[in-house]
Amino acid sequence: MSKYAIEVENLNIYYGNNHVIKGINLKIPQKTVFAIMGPSGCGKSTMLRSFNRLLDLNKNARVTGSVRLFGRDIYAGDIDSVEVRREVGMVFQYPNPFPHLSIYDNIALGLKMNKLVKSAEELEGRIEWALKKAGLWEEVKHRLNDYPSGLSGGQRQRLVIARVIAMKPKVIMMDEPTANIDPVGSKKVEDLIFELKKDYTIVLVTHNPAQAARVSDYVAFIYLGELVETGETGKIFTAPGSKLTEKYLTGKLV
Amino acid sequence: MRTLKKFAKFDRFDFLTYPAVLFVFLLFTWMLVVYVTNSIPAFQREGWNVYFTNVWNASECPDKEYYGILAAIWGSLYTSIIALLVALPLSISYSIFVVDYAPKRLRGILEITSDIMAGLPTIIYGIWGAFFLVPFLKEWVMMPVYDYLSFIPIFSQKPVSGFSFFSAGVLLGIMITPFVSAVVREAYATIPHTYREAAYSLGLTRYEATKILVGYVKPAMISGTILGFGRAIGETVAVSLVVGNAFNVSADPFSPGYTISSLIATQYGNSFIYTHMTSVLYAAGLFLFLVGLVITLLGMYVLRRWKKNVSI
Repeated sequence: MSKYAIEVENLNIYYGNNHVIKGINLKIPQKTVFAIMGPSGCGKSTMLRSFNRLLDLNKNARVTGSVRLFGRDIYAGDIDSVEVRREVGMVFQYPNPFPHLSIYDNIALGLKMNKLVKSAEELEGRIEWALKKAGLWEEVKHRLNDYPSGLSGGQRQRLVIARVIAMKPKVIMMDEPTANIDPVGSKKVEDLIFELKKDYTIVLVTHNPAQAARVSDYVAFIYLGELVETGETGKIFTAPGSKLTEKYLTGKLV
Repeated sequence: MRTLKKFAKFDRFDFLTYPAVLFVFLLFTWMLVVYVTNSIPAFQREGWNVYFTNVWNASECPDKEYYGILAAIWGSLYTSIIALLVALPLSISYSIFVVDYAPKRLRGILEITSDIMAGLPTIIYGIWGAFFLVPFLKEWVMMPVYDYLSFIPIFSQKPVSGFSFFSAGVLLGIMITPFVSAVVREAYATIPHTYREAAYSLGLTRYEATKILVGYVKPAMISGTILGFGRAIGETVAVSLVVGNAFNVSADPFSPGYTISSLIATQYGNSFIYTHMTSVLYAAGLFLFLVGLVITLLGMYVLRRWKKNVSI
């Protein structure tokens, strides 16, 4: 088995005639936090959605090149996109637990639909485990049947993370997970990312270099659809190899 | 300066909108008052029997006149429920198809078609129903059901003319589908993209994801249902052409019946001849009025409670 969770080779993504991601190569090591940073609109969210084939939802999008998940090309003809998404969990920019499902049912949904648990007891146990892992159990254990509307933004985001963890994915992708929540909530989510990398490979998209510096082990800098540079976070932040990266990190890139 | 300030306090929109609001409210109250006062003679003469008996004795001799509209009440509810059973599945599948599956051009054509259907004069549905739908349903639905399922009590009578609760219900269902589906389609199309992504990112298949998203638009389905029920129970002309216009309280869907609105429409012309009939027709209208009111309030309550629970 490959020592990399995700290997991206010559990845190109087009929206119609618009070339969004231009020939990107990346290797994402297992059980680390890998940050993809870049200014808004540089294509990082689009690229992330190609790692779990969520891009398939967009009929205009076209992908060439290869994305290998633990050595397996997820764009090969015999690969089921549903299978891929089961192994690659995703947390979104907007905390999006289903508002019409209870806290409990939000987590149970993926487990039940994918038949990942065999009994009601196992389901219950798994939900409690995921909520504890996401650091939300103490706050919601008395109101599991309430709707998520009673939760704060940060709590909702941790509920989404619990929903993902419950399925025991191999990779967790986070698309600017703190962009829409308050600083206290953000801090909790960042702490959680730190905690989760012991067991999971985490791919974090952020437009905030400070966040990348705080939580990631490796970082890739994307600008206008191209990979500028990638490497260990400490190295890139102290001695960037490109003028463009330096400008971005110091906030001079507009 | 002082006078100017005083004048500025006087909001012109208050001046323009209050009378309009007051007028609408008064109109509503006025109608209710007219219906109540005009139906009082019927209640004084017959009591609640106006609603709970099934008789229609129109007599030249006022002493022998006696009316009970139970059959019409029954028919209104029965046909409207059949209509919803037809319209809801049609509307939901139509909405899913139009939003998720149909290619762009087909989507436009379908949307325009359903908007046109919503605007057609109801008599057009009525004529089509009487001359085409009724014989069609009799031949292809009622007779086969009678042939094979007549051991079930409600299907045990051989359908005679085809003019029946069932025909009226199906026609109503077709008529209200454009309205119900407009509401459902709109709601389904405006589901935030992030929930679609969430559903698929959890490894749900297209069918499973669609099911979850349909669950998300449940309030729209409730309000669409209310709208549909309101229209179905109030629809008059088309129904009176296909329902058979018979005083009949029967669970047999293939037997002819009456609805409140078709009763009023068809008996109104006679009511001048008889002494007590007008008041009974007012009482029938009052019932329809109140049913509409209760249904709408109930629907609003359900919708509001749901919205409070799921608001973002």
